[in-house]
Amino acid sequence: MAVKILIIEDEAVIRRELKILLENAMYEAAALTEFHHILQQITEQSPDLILLDINLPGCSGFDVCTQIRGEMGVPVIFLTSRTDSMDELNGILKGGDDYITKPYQAPILLARIGAVLKRTMGGRLKEQTQFVHKDVRLDIAGCVLTCRNKQTELTKAEMKILYRLFRQPGEYVSRTNLIEYLWENKIFIDDNTLSVHMTRIREKLKAIGVHELIVTKRGLGYRI
Amino acid sequence: MRMSVLAFLKDRFFLLVLHLVCMGMMSVFLRLTGYSGANVAILLIFWGMIVCVWLVVTYLGRRKYFEETGHILEQVDKRYLLGELLPSSAKLEDRLYRDMIRRSNKSVIERIRQVETAEREYREYIENWVHEVKAPITGISLLCENGSRLSESRETLRAVSLENQKIENYVDMALYYARSENVYKDFIIRRTNLQETVEDVLERNRLLLIQSGVRAEVNCPDPVYTDGKWIAFIVNQMILNSVKYCGKQPTFRIRTKRERDGVCLTVEDNGVGIRSEELCRIFEKGFTGSNGRDHERATGMGLYLCRKLCDKLGVGLRAESEYGRGTRMTLLFPISVYIDREQED
Repeated sequence: MAVKILIIEDEAVIRRELKILLENAMYEAAALTEFHHILQQITEQSPDLILLDINLPGCSGFDVCTQIRGEMGVPVIFLTSRTDSMDELNGILKGGDDYITKPYQAPILLARIGAVLKRTMGGRLKEQTQFVHKDVRLDIAGCVLTCRNKQTELTKAEMKILYRLFRQPGEYVSRTNLIEYLWENKIFIDDNTLSVHMTRIREKLKAIGVHELIVTKRGLGYRI
Repeated sequence: MRMSVLAFLKDRFFLLVLHLVCMGMMSVFLRLTGYSGANVAILLIFWGMIVCVWLVVTYLGRRKYFEETGHILEQVDKRYLLGELLPSSAKLEDRLYRDMIRRSNKSVIERIRQVETAEREYREYIENWVHEVKAPITGISLLCENGSRLSESRETLRAVSLENQKIENYVDMALYYARSENVYKDFIIRRTNLQETVEDVLERNRLLLIQSGVRAEVNCPDPVYTDGKWIAFIVNQMILNSVKYCGKQPTFRIRTKRERDGVCLTVEDNGVGIRSEELCRIFEKGFTGSNGRDHERATGMGLYLCRKLCDKLGVGLRAESEYGRGTRMTLLFPISVYIDREQED
């Protein structure tokens, strides 16, 4: 069952794009378009997480959050363009689980949503930690690569690169996309360093007896 | 300006002349009407003594009055309030002056109020404007993100995203500039994980940094007590500077180091560096230096704002550079005795 996220945001464009973003990230997303009887609508939707704007027409997100807290324990993330410390403090005091200021960037937003969900849903949220492609098994939790009985340990950067490739087998991932993905995961490397990592990964693959798992195509990038 | 005896007498020159003339005229008159020279002399001596006593008393009185006034003026920090604080005096002239100074002060105070109100309204407007403009920036950012899933427009959208990021940075500068005078109103000091703060800044600017081929190492394990949001802004300015003036194969090293009197956060790059003669001026408002003129447009505001915010936050800020080799910016977070003791417990 997909995690359901409810968007309460009055800016139409942001609402629409957030919905698309969340759906692309494999969440089930719903949005309120009308801001009366918010609590009732929330109850009807029964989401797993609420993204709540603070400046809503006719009411304040803080009040909405207080109302929600009176009724149910669903996690709430405040989205706001205000960056006052007082507002942030208010958000936490009213029972918000996180406080994200606009303009937020998609990867950061998704990471924070993920973190809140992990915290609140705990065991119910099962993440895939093992990926298999052509006899090669990538274990995210253990940071190891296994093929038949041989296994090799990976560094964090190598693991992230392989994870990105294993997530979309058969699809080319460009070098730029790979580097961007790594930066989003707090590995701040340049193009040359990526080449070094790719070489090391190939050596490690060779060591466990895997040849030509990663295909390189000039101008397109890498794929498995 | 002080009240010297000579200046005091000079002020009363005509009065003294008048007395002398009257004395002369009286002597002539008395001599003509048959008084003896000795009697006239006694009269003149008395007259002269009375005038002298009067002058001395007036001089001392005036000097006391003005010394007191000067003293009050030294003591108060708002000197334009003098009208209300003048020592009381029975003299008509003093009272008239006092009244006029009061009226003049009142108008000054009104003017200051006006300026303060205008300034506050302007600042509030800027803050509101910044918050409003952030909604469309967010919209653009999300549109780019969602749109770039389709491959045909990916490059364009990446460029739009990058430009959007620049707008965001400039808008943030306006916001922090507007707020810099009132930092204390927007402050939450708490344990801040600098590693996260720095990583967030790098991640936020990743499009620009990746495009410039930047490699960054972050090693900031030491926590500090400060306001993360302001520090993020300052680090952001430093990183933007580093990328603006980067050389070939730019590498940034961002580290913390525990020192005796606090924690140091250094942002080090291998860029073009700053000429030693310009190093002391980089934190001045509007200073762009030879780098700023040679490279991309520089506003001379970024580092000025950093210095200003650091002063308000009580964080030390230092810059070192070797021209052609790189620049190192250091933030020093002093450790208060209280917090240190708490950690030892």
